[in-house]
Amino acid sequence: MGVPNVMHTGRSGMMASKAAIATTGHNISNANTEGFSRQRVETSNLTPQGSSGSHALVGSGTQISRVDRVNDEYVEKQIRSGAREMATMEERDMALRQSEDIFNEMNGDGLNRLISRFFNEFRKLSNEPDNEAVRQSVRESSSAMVNDFKRLRREVDEVRRNIDSRLEGYAKEVNSLVDEVRDLNIKIKAMEVGGAPPNDLLDKRDLALKKLGTYMELTTHKDGQGGYVVDIKGVGPLVVGGQTEKFSVFRSPADEDGKPEGAMELRTSASASSNITHRIKTGKFGALLDVRDNTLSTILDRLDDLAYAVTNSVNGIHEQGFTRFGSQGVSFFRNLNAKERAAEFMDLSDEIKASVNNIAAAAEQDAPGDNRVAIAISGIQSAKILSQGKSTMDDFYNSIVSDIGVATARNRSGMNQQRDVNTQLNKIRDQISGVSIDEETANLMQFQHMFDASAKVIQVADEMLKTVLELKR
Amino acid sequence: MRVTERTNFDTVRDSIQRSKQRMENLQMQSSTLKKINTPSDDPVSSAKVLEMRTEKVNNDQFQGNAKMAQMVLQNTDHALSELSDIVVRAKEIALGQSSKASSNENTRLGVAEEVTQLFQQAVATANRRIGEKYIFAGFKTDKPAVDPEGRYMGDDGQQMVEIAKDVFISSNLPGIEAFNTNPKSSSDAPGVYNSSGRTLASSTGLGMTLDQSGRDNVNVFDEIQNLRISLLTGDLDGIRNTLDRFDQAQGKLIAARAKVGSRLQGVESTSQAIERHNLTNAQLSSALEDADMSQVVSDLAKEETVYKSALASSQKLIQPTLLDFLK
Repeated sequence: MGVPNVMHTGRSGMMASKAAIATTGHNISNANTEGFSRQRVETSNLTPQGSSGSHALVGSGTQISRVDRVNDEYVEKQIRSGAREMATMEERDMALRQSEDIFNEMNGDGLNRLISRFFNEFRKLSNEPDNEAVRQSVRESSSAMVNDFKRLRREVDEVRRNIDSRLEGYAKEVNSLVDEVRDLNIKIKAMEVGGAPPNDLLDKRDLALKKLGTYMELTTHKDGQGGYVVDIKGVGPLVVGGQTEKFSVFRSPADEDGKPEGAMELRTSASASSNITHRIKTGKFGALLDVRDNTLSTILDRLDDLAYAVTNSVNGIHEQGFTRFGSQGVSFFRNLNAKERAAEFMDLSDEIKASVNNIAAAAEQDAPGDNRVAIAISGIQSAKILSQGKSTMDDFYNSIVSDIGVATARNRSGMNQQRDVNTQLNKIRDQISGVSIDEETANLMQFQHMFDASAKVIQVADEMLKTVLELKR
Repeated sequence: MRVTERTNFDTVRDSIQRSKQRMENLQMQSSTLKKINTPSDDPVSSAKVLEMRTEKVNNDQFQGNAKMAQMVLQNTDHALSELSDIVVRAKEIALGQSSKASSNENTRLGVAEEVTQLFQQAVATANRRIGEKYIFAGFKTDKPAVDPEGRYMGDDGQQMVEIAKDVFISSNLPGIEAFNTNPKSSSDAPGVYNSSGRTLASSTGLGMTLDQSGRDNVNVFDEIQNLRISLLTGDLDGIRNTLDRFDQAQGKLIAARAKVGSRLQGVESTSQAIERHNLTNAQLSSALEDADMSQVVSDLAKEETVYKSALASSQKLIQPTLLDFLK
């Protein structure tokens, strides 16, 4: 082997250490980049060449075989599903907390208190059925109760509408993420043809998928042509190589799965057949849809049940009684035709609005001291008129409040657990793929020494060459 | 295990965040003095708390009802006592004028005047009012219970009031029960209302007639009137006849007072029971929803220490890197 070859050997070492230093620099500068996996320069020794006058093979330096990212596919997958779980619960937590605030009876005049007041006003009326001031306050407390029914329904509805507008926003975000994944797919495929792994693009795609995966459950695989395929679990493909589906939202009539009238549904294209509203169970989409179509719908149904039951049972008794004007059959609340949206349509009857003397306290005509109807109405409070005769109004309403509490609390404790799990998973990922400045600094010095030494090899080779050239003189 | 800067910073952030969250929660408890601030803090207890609040509000109303009933019943009792005095006086007069030895036309005419007074007094007493309400008139509280001739104008309506959950007591005594010795069908039974208070069908017999057949029915006003007429006409037999009847009327009044008295006692004891119940409830609901302040304050102090030490250790953890030593 000739002296120039020794020079070449030194040069290969310098090249390799330069690449290593560049990669270390790349690692350090990306230490805070989300989703970045540290990279390593893989070198291999060059094929040795025979030296003249001997059978021994002398090594001829090094070569950069590849630059790899240090990354565990399995951990990435776990992180993705952890992030989805977390997003699901965070999203649900937000919606449930809003609902909980509406029903917050713990420090305020909630419906619970107004219902008690309503019945107690009738008890007061039973003390003094002939007192007009008491009648006034019966009417006033009744309209306070009615208004609170309306308020609850309106505010729960408001939360539902908020959810719809979030769905709309999320659909846009999903579409832009889908585009990003598609673009990356195309670039990655083009670069992979060259043989080298496009580490940074792969990191980017992992990150985009992690974000995309917070909206719904995804599965990924490579198809026969090497195209990268992202499927929505249980629905179908979202991205196939360079092709994508687009999310869109539509307002549509109520359906039997609890979706309320006029609420948004999700589609993966403009056609109604691509409706996937009830097929997404987890992720931000799943959480929002679940709260909207199950939790809130149930709450509203129960509020309506309650309003309907109050209206009917009070009217049922009130209509038997006699007003101060001596007439019978006057309704206290406006009669409701159906249970549907009862809490919204509930109201005092026109007669009661017109005069408090239309409140019937008496069971017989022309008996101003007769309080039997007032007593009977106050008795509704402890009557089991709901859940097929199993619960009183109070029980029923309190169970709505505590059910929301239970749902929120359960979700929150799940969320806290998941947060711990995610912290742990991120630590594991960091152990594998994270950049340690200390480590990189040490590496930097190591590679610098290597660079110096390789330069020294060239210097020595140079001197050797000089020595050889000076032999002639 | 490889530890990276990011792990370090995450750990620091995480531990500080957790500590702050716990402090915030304790802070909330100490400012509201409650450990249940939203239903989700303790769903089961919060439902229980709501239940007890309703109970408290209802009990307060029952106490109010009891006060009201007490007032009416006490007034009823006073009126009955006055009526009873009137009957005693009328009987005294009748006794004094019942024999030829002690009575002559002059004395009879003289006391007849007093008996007229007594009659008017009796009518006035029977028409006793609280506010605008005639207490002896049954349900017909807007009209006098007795007309100027002493005829009962009310009905036998019992104004039941709820003085504890599902415990009803009649707050009034329809005059017919006190003035007549043998009235038909007035009952003191609260059975009209079942526990749900919804049954109205079996309301009391309303079509009662005031002039009763069967047993001799003595009416306070009639007897005073009879005495007066007998005095004016000099009918000594008639005067003597009233003696026995006054006894009967007096007996009825005493029975009525006993009835009112026992109701008052019932109200009183029920009221006390509710008071005790409220106290127990207050203790229970305080145990459920009130924060234990000494606990909260000591937890807060502990948490502050944790927070400070988290900050202190973070400072040590974050600062140095290898670079600091390579100069």
